[in-house]
Amino acid sequence: MPLYREGSLQPVDATGPAPLPLEEWLKAPMQAVSLANTDQPDALSMRLSRLKLVVLHFPKFTDGRAYSQARLLRGRMGYRGELRATGAVLRDQLPFLLRCGFDSFESDQPGFGVALARARSLFSVVYQGAEDNRATVALLRLRQHRQPAELAAD
Amino acid sequence: MAKNLSGDLTVASANRLADGVVVFLDDKGHWTRHLEQAALARDKRASELLLARARAESFSVVDPFLVAVAEDEQGDLEPISLREKIRVSGLTFEAIAADAVRYA
Amino acid sequence: MPDTHFYHYDKYDRTLLSERVEQFRDQVRRRLAGELTEEQFKPLRLTNGLYLQLHAYMLRIAIPYGTLSSRQLRQLAAIARKYDKGYGHFTTRQNLQLNWIRLEDAPDAVAMLAEVDMHSIQTSGNVVRNTTADHFAGAAADEIEDPRVWCEIVRQWSTLHPEFSFLPRKFKIAITGSPNDRAAVRIHDVGLRLWRNEQGETGFEVIVGGGLGRTPMIGKTVRAFLPKDEMLAYLEAVLRVYNRYGRRDNLFKARIKILVHEIGIEKMREEVEAEYAAIKDSALKLDPQTIEAIAAHFAPPPLPHRPAISGEVERLKLEEPDFALWLKSNTAPHKLAGYRIVTASLKPAGAPPGDASSVQMEGVADIADAYSQSEVRVSHEQNLVLPHVAVEDLPAVYRALAGLGFAEANVGKITDIIACPGLDYCALANARSIPVAQRISNHFANLARQHDIGDLKVKISGCINACGHHHVGHIGILGVDKNGVELYQISLGGDVDFGKTALGDIIGPAVAADRIVEAVDALVRTYLDRREEGERFVDAYRRIGVEPFKESVYAAV
Repeated sequence: MPLYREGSLQPVDATGPAPLPLEEWLKAPMQAVSLANTDQPDALSMRLSRLKLVVLHFPKFTDGRAYSQARLLRGRMGYRGELRATGAVLRDQLPFLLRCGFDSFESDQPGFGVALARARSLFSVVYQGAEDNRATVALLRLRQHRQPAELAAD
Repeated sequence: MAKNLSGDLTVASANRLADGVVVFLDDKGHWTRHLEQAALARDKRASELLLARARAESFSVVDPFLVAVAEDEQGDLEPISLREKIRVSGLTFEAIAADAVRYA
Repeated sequence: MPDTHFYHYDKYDRTLLSERVEQFRDQVRRRLAGELTEEQFKPLRLTNGLYLQLHAYMLRIAIPYGTLSSRQLRQLAAIARKYDKGYGHFTTRQNLQLNWIRLEDAPDAVAMLAEVDMHSIQTSGNVVRNTTADHFAGAAADEIEDPRVWCEIVRQWSTLHPEFSFLPRKFKIAITGSPNDRAAVRIHDVGLRLWRNEQGETGFEVIVGGGLGRTPMIGKTVRAFLPKDEMLAYLEAVLRVYNRYGRRDNLFKARIKILVHEIGIEKMREEVEAEYAAIKDSALKLDPQTIEAIAAHFAPPPLPHRPAISGEVERLKLEEPDFALWLKSNTAPHKLAGYRIVTASLKPAGAPPGDASSVQMEGVADIADAYSQSEVRVSHEQNLVLPHVAVEDLPAVYRALAGLGFAEANVGKITDIIACPGLDYCALANARSIPVAQRISNHFANLARQHDIGDLKVKISGCINACGHHHVGHIGILGVDKNGVELYQISLGGDVDFGKTALGDIIGPAVAADRIVEAVDALVRTYLDRREEGERFVDAYRRIGVEPFKESVYAAV
């Protein structure tokens, strides 16, 4: 399946070692692993710093378990390597995927690269904190409240 | 009362994509709002072909499916199930819009 | 000054809403151009409230915590007139449904909603739905705290939540701030009940796993007392546990109630509390200033002192028996003595329950402007509420509502029927609901008789999904399809009142469509024969049991 990263409208080449399913990876922990959406992200915690790629699965685009896995990996466990979405990955999921910390995407959908380039600009405000560290509306309001003069000049 | 003597009469129906309106596939492969213009399949094999044709013509409609119908002596068609009867004939009560005139 | 006494949007809310409209416009364009399949498009349109029903698309518009300004209600009327057939259906979840929308027009319709800070976001789909509240919030005499402040905080947190936009199934939250629960918190995926503990602090009882539908369940308490500023952390923990472990193999077992049922409330609590412990000190903890700022939006309107007793009201009570009945059933105590909360009954005899025409909506908006601080509420019983009416103004409000057909003195009575749209509209239904409601309503139209029968909640659903809440009706009616024939299953003894929440018991074989009025009449006669002084229908049922009712029904049908 074509692989996309932000910064390129066209598919990019997959480089680095092929990801192993969790069970095999546990026996031979290499730099890349692929989790089923029922796997516990905790299972990676021992060797997290060595990992360069974690692949999470969307068996159907309506199955949202991997969003929680992504947030646990990024937010709770502090994983900083590549986080890839694969399976049924469609452009209309991109705003959510990006916010949960995914940074590479395998998708068959035509126009995916163009959609990816625009995905971060679809919504200029966010209500809830996530793994993209954007300032939430609540935070912006607090700042506005605390520094009214500064913002008035804005 | 419509009678269904041959047993397996069907028409192909769907909702039109742009506005949701109930439509039927006619003999020319066009979608029509009128049940009386619908292409009629008279047996199981013809029904399968009709559904395949409907799916092939489904660009402008949503999820075509077969509706079992009965035919009376004049050749008029009527769906068998209440649900499909309602899809053809509309609400079975007077919607409140009529009351709006009274209260206006 | 804002023209409302509830949350008013700022530039952030408006920006997000307009960006959402443009996103939806692009999605509709791509669908019409054939770039999206129906399978790909369906979840996108659903999370914008757009269903495909039997005859047309249906747009479900959120009325957050059931609160509307007169300006918003007028805009709903205008949208119904411009893009629909000039009427709409108020639902049990504080939404308004327009039944005849065209897909091509849907982006323009939601853009018109956005003009008055309204939307249809997440009114369908497997997401956190519109959070509902007590429809008397901010006005009720028995209220501890206004629950809408917390509903608004949930609205913002849940809107386009990146992690919880593809849940196993839909997720409904209700919040009440009164001991007399008018929000039915025990039949929601999560119910939050504000209460005051022995130390005098207010916090939430968190109830999880309630719901009706195919497998009705009453919610269980997962946390007895939650500090208010930890509400979002706790909700995020509940949702994360549900998103990860809720069943996705079977649509009918995917609600959180099934997860709670299968793993047990203790295990559920353990999972939720563990997740909560990990996030409770994060940014999810609500800043006191944030709470205060949102609470300030809900500051009560400056109601002038008005007399608690009006000579005109007392005179009219004697002269017009229907007005006296209306005062009893359609007005409720306000927290200020000179005011009453008025319920406009959307159940005139023989009308489709919960429907209002554009003309009627505009009429209610005019009354709200003149007599109720320009504010209107939508109740889960499918009525409209004028929350701040001065006692002295009651005769004028009564007459104005009567002019619209909304002054039927039947709130809480046998003809104040809850009914889903049923097979006349709904693609999921097995049987019709509205015509059944109409026949019962016409049969029991006499107001004096209705008041003699007393409080009796009749709830009708056209299929097992239970949008008409039949499980919790004192009399519940469920339409079923048996070999193409509509039959109606009757249950008795359901209740949503807090502390008394109960699911009804099915009395026996389903009844034919044309015998349903006779069946209900037999139930009522049995009650009238057997009741004790001051005993409601449902209390009599609890005392004497199902047998006498069963006997009379099957003798009558």
